[in-house]
Amino acid sequence: MSVLSQLNVIQVSGLTQRVNTLEGSLTILSDINFSVKSGESVAIVGASGSGKSTLLSLLAGLDVASQGEVHLDGDALSTLDEEARAQLRAEKIGFVFQSFMLVQSLTALENVMLPAELAGDHDAKAQAVELLDKVGLSHRLGHYPSQLSGGEQQRVAIARAFIGSPKILFADEPSANLDSKNGHLIETLLFDLNKQNGTTLVLVTHDEQLAKKCQRIIHIEGGQLEKISEGGAANVG
Amino acid sequence: MWVKLAFKLFSREFRRGELTIIFAAIALAVLTVFSLSAITERISLNIAHKSSDFIASDRRLSSNHAFEPQLLKQASQFGLATAQMLYFDSMLFANDELVLGSVKATTAAYPLRGKITIKDNLTSKAYEVETGPKAGSVWLSEGLFYTLKVNVGDKVELGAGKFNVTKVLVKEPDAPFFSLSGNKRVLLNYADIETTQAVQPGSRVFHRLLFAGNEQELSDYYAWLKPQLKSNQNWQGLKDRQSPLGNNLDRAERFLLLAGLFGIMLAAVAMAVSAKRYCERQYDPVAMMKTLGGSRKVIRNIFLLHLSLVTTFSIVAGLALGFVLQTIGADYLATFMGTELPQAGVRPWLLSAFIGLVCALMFSLKPLLDLFDIPPLRVLRRNLGDTLAISRIHIGLSMLTIFVLMWLFSGEIVTTLILFASTLVVIAVLFALSRLLFAAGRKLGLSPGSSWSLALATLQKRANANAIQLISFALAIKLMLFLVVLKNDIISDWQMQVPADAPNMFIINIAKEEVTPIKKFFKDNNIAHEDFYPVFSGRVDAVNGEEFARRVSKQEGEEKDENAREGVSREPNLTWLTSLPEGNEITEGEWFSDGGTGDDIEVSVFDGWQETLGLKIGDIITLLVNEQPIDAKVTSFRKVDWGSLKPNFVMILSPNMAGKVPVTYFSAAKLHDRDTKGISQLLQRYPTISMIDIKAQIEQAQSIIAQVSLAIGFVLSIVLVSGALVLVSQVQASLAERMQEVVILRTLGAKGRLIKLATLYEFMLLGGIAGLVAAIVSDVALLVIQQQLFDIAGRLHPYIWLLGPVSGALFVSSIGYFMVANTMRQNTQGLLRKLG
Repeated sequence: MSVLSQLNVIQVSGLTQRVNTLEGSLTILSDINFSVKSGESVAIVGASGSGKSTLLSLLAGLDVASQGEVHLDGDALSTLDEEARAQLRAEKIGFVFQSFMLVQSLTALENVMLPAELAGDHDAKAQAVELLDKVGLSHRLGHYPSQLSGGEQQRVAIARAFIGSPKILFADEPSANLDSKNGHLIETLLFDLNKQNGTTLVLVTHDEQLAKKCQRIIHIEGGQLEKISEGGAANVG
Repeated sequence: MWVKLAFKLFSREFRRGELTIIFAAIALAVLTVFSLSAITERISLNIAHKSSDFIASDRRLSSNHAFEPQLLKQASQFGLATAQMLYFDSMLFANDELVLGSVKATTAAYPLRGKITIKDNLTSKAYEVETGPKAGSVWLSEGLFYTLKVNVGDKVELGAGKFNVTKVLVKEPDAPFFSLSGNKRVLLNYADIETTQAVQPGSRVFHRLLFAGNEQELSDYYAWLKPQLKSNQNWQGLKDRQSPLGNNLDRAERFLLLAGLFGIMLAAVAMAVSAKRYCERQYDPVAMMKTLGGSRKVIRNIFLLHLSLVTTFSIVAGLALGFVLQTIGADYLATFMGTELPQAGVRPWLLSAFIGLVCALMFSLKPLLDLFDIPPLRVLRRNLGDTLAISRIHIGLSMLTIFVLMWLFSGEIVTTLILFASTLVVIAVLFALSRLLFAAGRKLGLSPGSSWSLALATLQKRANANAIQLISFALAIKLMLFLVVLKNDIISDWQMQVPADAPNMFIINIAKEEVTPIKKFFKDNNIAHEDFYPVFSGRVDAVNGEEFARRVSKQEGEEKDENAREGVSREPNLTWLTSLPEGNEITEGEWFSDGGTGDDIEVSVFDGWQETLGLKIGDIITLLVNEQPIDAKVTSFRKVDWGSLKPNFVMILSPNMAGKVPVTYFSAAKLHDRDTKGISQLLQRYPTISMIDIKAQIEQAQSIIAQVSLAIGFVLSIVLVSGALVLVSQVQASLAERMQEVVILRTLGAKGRLIKLATLYEFMLLGGIAGLVAAIVSDVALLVIQQQLFDIAGRLHPYIWLLGPVSGALFVSSIGYFMVANTMRQNTQGLLRKLG
């Protein structure tokens, strides 16, 4: 492995994803190649159905590619089984989803603690309280998701994403379900925390404005990598 | 670490009500099985105790020959209480009057069950005692006092002995319902048999050993006894077919068993559905945990711990609630019946806990395995994993579990198979029907936006889910209808056996010339009575010219001089009749073809004798009547209902017997207390006639029937409550699935009335269809079950074809309506939040 590839926390080569349908095999992603450096922020943009969410699922090891390879912090995902990929996610990855995906029966604090607890971390509480404080929810620790607004739920999800200090953060349309005010708030929070923690951010969005806040933008069109452009934050990182 | 997380998740899920349905389902299974089996056991024990009165013991051994002393000795070693009895006929003499009496000599322990009713003199009040007369004294039945012209305190000669008459014998617990010698009964102390010198080698005597103890001791003893039983020795229990209430007890037990089975089925349906639903609701959290790095092992451990906890809690809760319910029920029954119910053993506890455990494990297994397989990708593709929802393995596993549980609980493969097969028919019919109906629904062309259109559209859209819904509604309705109808049939069948106006007194030994004046007496005193039957005694001497004793011995594979069983060797009561008596049924052959007026004498024989004697249609039986041989051709065999409390005849001859033998007449009447004086006068005027009071027997039978009916009603209500709970939980589950649609419709501005009415119509259709199919299938299954298991003439019940759909539609739609109306009271924002 070269020095360059060691700097690349995500290395994608020849990534292809096909699914079987009633009408035969359908190619969703075709021969995608790119890399993401450690600490870099990258947006994956494209129209609905372009394959950007599929790409995210392959990058995060939630699904297995039909062809090609994803190296995540040096580990080739195709060589790992489901359990090993889960272990990898537990150690190195954080997530923020469009639909928040909080566990309804756990409080805000407990939701934030969940990844750490699953990884066997005994001192998760202090870190979770601190993260919730950072997202401005220190007064909502004991609230359940149904007692929080959409913006608040996503702030909990962001706090959860940063617990355990992941190397990479995947965010899938994090502000799409929110009004513009709350959306901006979330975006700011996400970028601020990302910067503070030195995390690599991979953001899936169809929002050009949001994408521009990243250093690089990967454009996906019809399952193919159309181009990689510089984002508005290119000179920042 | 996962343990802490698992407990935290469990307590939250429990508090949020996510586990309530699964908890309720297991608890319901345990509660139903516990309360049903405990109540059934307690009632069965009580009935068994009460019914043991009918044979004055729990089991008895009868023979024409004396028993080896070893039999009694061994019984004591097995912990059984024993008593000895000897029946023989002997002449009684007093005041120059001579009469043949039926003597029963008993040891001091007699009766082991029940009590003897006696009077201090003819006019005093009857009371109960626990043992027979002391040595040197006898108790005589009322008729003998008149015939022998004696009073209490006088002496009578019995055989070679002289005895003090100390009491009037009113009733022994094991007195036969009907016997020609019924009114000339003598109770004697066993020690006095020798004094009478009436029992000599070759005398016609019947020996009986009585046994009482718990079931285990009895069956242990029987296991020891069985290999050495001689064919002239007959082991009888109260449940033997020919014992008067044997049939009814058998039916009652079968009903209680069925009710228990249905309880298990209902709880199993609730469990299978709720386990699946609970697991489906965990798909998102599991996908989330996997995405956040939770390993399969940790997730498996978390949910297995949840299952273990919820199973433990629900079994404990089910047992506790079941115990409370059965205690309240048993107390109520005991108060009503004026008796104390014996405590149940450990069986209900073990059985219900075991069934709860099996239900939890088997019905959750597949949904849980599916849950562990949920791909983490579901966090991005929300419907991923939904296809796992309907699994053939889950259905197959659930059905197998239900079958095995039913079989285990009942120990009867036939009953289990009938119920299970009919249930499968319900499922198949409903599945096909739901497909057809829901596919046709849209073609009706209702205007969009109407409640009916919305209801039909929802039904069609959710065809698969609705089919499952329909099946569980129909199963619950089917089981409930089935039990209600069966209960009514059984009870009305019993009531028919002992109708309120049933005769309570048999009048026998009526001479031909006495028939007219006695009829007139009845008429003058407004006493309802039955026809006067000609009755005579005869002994079966030969069949097709072959001597009877030899023939019976051959059947029994015994030596020639070993006599036959008691039932066959006894001189049976005979009559002639023009038509088949009520309650009898021809099983083979035909009733007297030309009205029995031809040259040949024909005979219709009780089918029990057909087997014992190896008789067939066309055989010639030679009867010895007053030493005069009479040949009769067997033209039919009859089933006789010995539990009917009516005079039953082993042999009925054709009417052309009239004039060939001397007869006395027999009748039965319904007497009231006001008739007592008139009856005494009648007995004094015609001292040769005898009256047998069967009031006590009727009352005893009625009390047992009332007790069993009450028990059945109680058990039925438990099953009905379970059924209703299953329906409620089903509607609730279905509504939870519909919430999203309700919220969308509400958000889009649909009026509450439209949504409520659409739900009402949808559930009305579901309930109606489920009820109709349930009614039809129940009726067919009932037809089979009644004939196969309950010995009741199977018939269809058209009223349930209406009752099923109407009650189904009303019940299901009203629950649905109520729940939706409740939801509608919350504001739309609140509903949206709840959906998450």
